[in-house]
Amino acid sequence: MIWLTWRQHRKQALWTAVALAVLAAVLVPTGLSMRSSFEDSGLGACLRALGHSRFVGGEGCEALSQRFGNQYDSTAFLAILFVLLPIVLGLFLGAPLVAKEVENGTHRLVWTQGISRRRWILTKFGLVGAVALVLSVGYALGAAWWLRPLDANGLGRFRYLIFDVQGVAPIGYTLFAVALGILAGTLTRRVLPAMGLSLIAFIAVRALVELLARPSFLAPETLSYRIDGQGMANRFTGDWVYQEGVRNGAGTLVLPDARVGCGGDTGAETARCVERFVQDGFGPAPFSNWQEYQPADRFWTFQAIESGIFLALTALLLALAIRRVRRIS
Amino acid sequence: MTEVALHAEGLGKRYGRSWALQDCSLALPAGRIAALVGPNGAGKSTLLHLAVGLLQPDAGRVRVFGRDPRHDRDALADLGFVAQDTPLYPDFTAAELITMGGRLNRRGVWDDAIARDRLTRLGIPSDKPVGKLSGGQRAQVALALALAKRPRLLLLDEPVAALDPLARHEFMQALMGAVGEYGTTVLLSSHLLADLERVCDHLVLLHTSHVQLTGPVEELLAGHRRLIGPRIADGAAVPGVASVIRASHTERQSTLLVRTEGPVDQDHWAVHEVTLEDLVLAHLGAPGAADRPEVAA
Repeated sequence: MIWLTWRQHRKQALWTAVALAVLAAVLVPTGLSMRSSFEDSGLGACLRALGHSRFVGGEGCEALSQRFGNQYDSTAFLAILFVLLPIVLGLFLGAPLVAKEVENGTHRLVWTQGISRRRWILTKFGLVGAVALVLSVGYALGAAWWLRPLDANGLGRFRYLIFDVQGVAPIGYTLFAVALGILAGTLTRRVLPAMGLSLIAFIAVRALVELLARPSFLAPETLSYRIDGQGMANRFTGDWVYQEGVRNGAGTLVLPDARVGCGGDTGAETARCVERFVQDGFGPAPFSNWQEYQPADRFWTFQAIESGIFLALTALLLALAIRRVRRIS
Repeated sequence: MTEVALHAEGLGKRYGRSWALQDCSLALPAGRIAALVGPNGAGKSTLLHLAVGLLQPDAGRVRVFGRDPRHDRDALADLGFVAQDTPLYPDFTAAELITMGGRLNRRGVWDDAIARDRLTRLGIPSDKPVGKLSGGQRAQVALALALAKRPRLLLLDEPVAALDPLARHEFMQALMGAVGEYGTTVLLSSHLLADLERVCDHLVLLHTSHVQLTGPVEELLAGHRRLIGPRIADGAAVPGVASVIRASHTERQSTLLVRTEGPVDQDHWAVHEVTLEDLVLAHLGAPGAADRPEVAA
């Protein structure tokens, strides 16, 4: 059975290896140049000095960060290639697994030999899944390496799509995509419809979890500090900020999506700054910057929950696929 | 008493609301070469798929040498199956398919040499992807694979339907040679009676998802006669006739295909023997005959 699985899927394995090599050929050079510029510009040293303190005063690393961001932030779109990898494996390894057999009638050949269908599909999923697992661990590590300077520069590991390509979440997505492809194949019994169905279902489930479920995995924390204080919240911590804004003394959000620093060199300057808010009709002082956020150190908790959801779905889909396979003749 | 290779009792399979096979009962003794005949859509493939465990019955039961092909793993070892259109992995070579068979079957069951020798004898290259072979050669590879399992019951689903007459002839010859050699019981479906008439000694006739007629060919032929005589009314009783399968009348003469149950009055009727083809056609054409399956086994 192992021999058969290898013999049937070796071509797909080869193509996957080629695709990954091409991806690596693009990402390794860009990753290296990004890292050297991150260090050579002094941004790395500056951010390390800043550390993970909650508040920073003064200039911080803004100027260096801006320069680095202008140069490299746009390359973060390359991470989207990694976001697509699980479903690519689902489409090309998962969907044909059963559908191609049924389409060609070869299931009648292989299922009337000496082994049960259950064993047939479990062995196939086991081996294909193991390959998918190794690939996903590999690309998650690669993506994390590649993204680290951008993460450190304020992009944060919690950002949509950035969160999805590192840690353990890719393992969940990849196995889920493969199981989804297999199940779709048992439903449609034809390769192309199975690919279409798994693509749609994958995007739907991923979007639902990403946009609706993930923000409520854990209750967010809030942070509030006076705009006339001497520091601002450190924006390089990698927190996942849901909402932020300025609230007045009555607690009303008067300036959404903004953060204000009135801390001047002299007390008079600071007072003038605050006074202008009152004159502009924003209500009574004191004003505070406010944010609702997930702290950056919850990254691995979120990763564990996210991949747990997708691994549970994988087990469910696989059980359904085994049931379906028993009904195909 | 001979062992029963394939036994079905009230076997049925439903797709949605319509039955692909209903109330199918038959017993195929070991050592027989049975023809599974019927028009397209009569349920031939369904019966074969139930027999090899590809399908789960919705009614009744089917046993292969006393074992449930769906739930008893040992039953699979007794079965050889050549599916419709003889499906094979087109990018595999014949040698690789033989390796596959070895991997998917228990050691004591599978015999590489059987398949290899057959292909060598037929001059089929074993290092060429089977997708590049002719249809006839592919069918031979599929047969060789089924035989290498050393099955006690070999089922074939229209294996020659897509072949040209020469390849069809060669395939049947190879099949009969192998069956003679190993003493395998065979159930072979086809809608071309001519392929089967010369080689089969047992008949299973399906019509509109029912078993219309089943039994050893000799007994069936002995039990049926064609009578030609003066015109009689439809439904009139004829001494020595159990049932009239099919009747056609001209103004003065009646021709009846009947199942006999005793001597027929030879002065009144000209009595002729029937061929298997006569029998099958008469039963397929008989109106309402589906309601009363006959079992002559």
